[in-house]
Amino acid sequence: MAKQLPIEIFMPPNILKAKVGSIAGGIDLAALKRAEAAMDTLKTEFNEWLTDDISRLALARDGLANSPSDAMRRDLFRAAHDLKGQAETYGYPLIARMAASLSKLVDETNKKPAIPIPLIDAHVVAIRIAFRDKISMTNDTVAVTLAKELEARVGEELAS
Amino acid sequence: MSGYRFDRLRVLVVDDNPHMRKLVVTILQAFGVVQIFEAGDGEKAWAVMREANPDVVILDWMMDGMNGLELAQLIRTSPQTPNPFVPIIMLTGYTTVEKVRAARDAGINEFLAKPVSVKAVMSRLVSVIEHPRPYVRTKSYFGPCRRRRGKDEYRGPERRVLGAEPASIGAAAN
Repeated sequence: MAKQLPIEIFMPPNILKAKVGSIAGGIDLAALKRAEAAMDTLKTEFNEWLTDDISRLALARDGLANSPSDAMRRDLFRAAHDLKGQAETYGYPLIARMAASLSKLVDETNKKPAIPIPLIDAHVVAIRIAFRDKISMTNDTVAVTLAKELEARVGEELAS
Repeated sequence: MSGYRFDRLRVLVVDDNPHMRKLVVTILQAFGVVQIFEAGDGEKAWAVMREANPDVVILDWMMDGMNGLELAQLIRTSPQTPNPFVPIIMLTGYTTVEKVRAARDAGINEFLAKPVSVKAVMSRLVSVIEHPRPYVRTKSYFGPCRRRRGKDEYRGPERRVLGAEPASIGAAAN
């Protein structure tokens, strides 16, 4: 017979709502508008931020290639994972896609003794070129083909 | 004022990436949040948490040292926590079901997948304000009820009832 465990369920007072009040429809349209305008202003910094993130990725790649270790793999994964999450916000969805492919590669090969440096390099170079050429559209045929090819190669690497 | 009084909120933003922190802080400021606390790692966030006692925590998952999941568990269960019920919104590039489940099991209230957008941040804030989840305490978990809300919610005769006396059941899952 299964062990009997007590479960307590309760609703704490909604202090948050008491503080901020409520509005009709639950969406503060004026606040949304202000925030979209603030984001537009911030966009002037996005290229610089992405430059930093791609430099960090390249440094992490060099670190792993020159002194392979779990810590270096982690650094590269972190750099690729951050880029995956942030590049789309910065206006580069294809870079986010390529970074997603790279983070998957690094994450899922972390138990393999051999580090797939050539495939890692292919991702880093593709990301650098996409940024250099300011490829911000998701319908750029060459970049989309490249992203698909990288994903396919990662699939092959993980299956091997 | 016709909107929410976001100026009354105290929000802690935890992310080791300064760009992402600036992005979230900019959005919150535009919403009208004035009291924003920032931390670049889990340890600092825990110190700020105890000192500032924020109303909402926006938390990145992946950080060196104490990660977002560990911090969420600490906030929920440590005897030193200033508020075990504080709404936690987890901001992350992870989007797989396994990761969402792990975040849910750590006691987070809402999951905000990157890329960050103004609408997504507002939506999660509205969710914790307007649709707070009941809290559950079992031997192995304390935090917001992990059951799905909405049309898929179980409504049959064996559904647990909010506010009922602590029940005894055969498993601790909720």
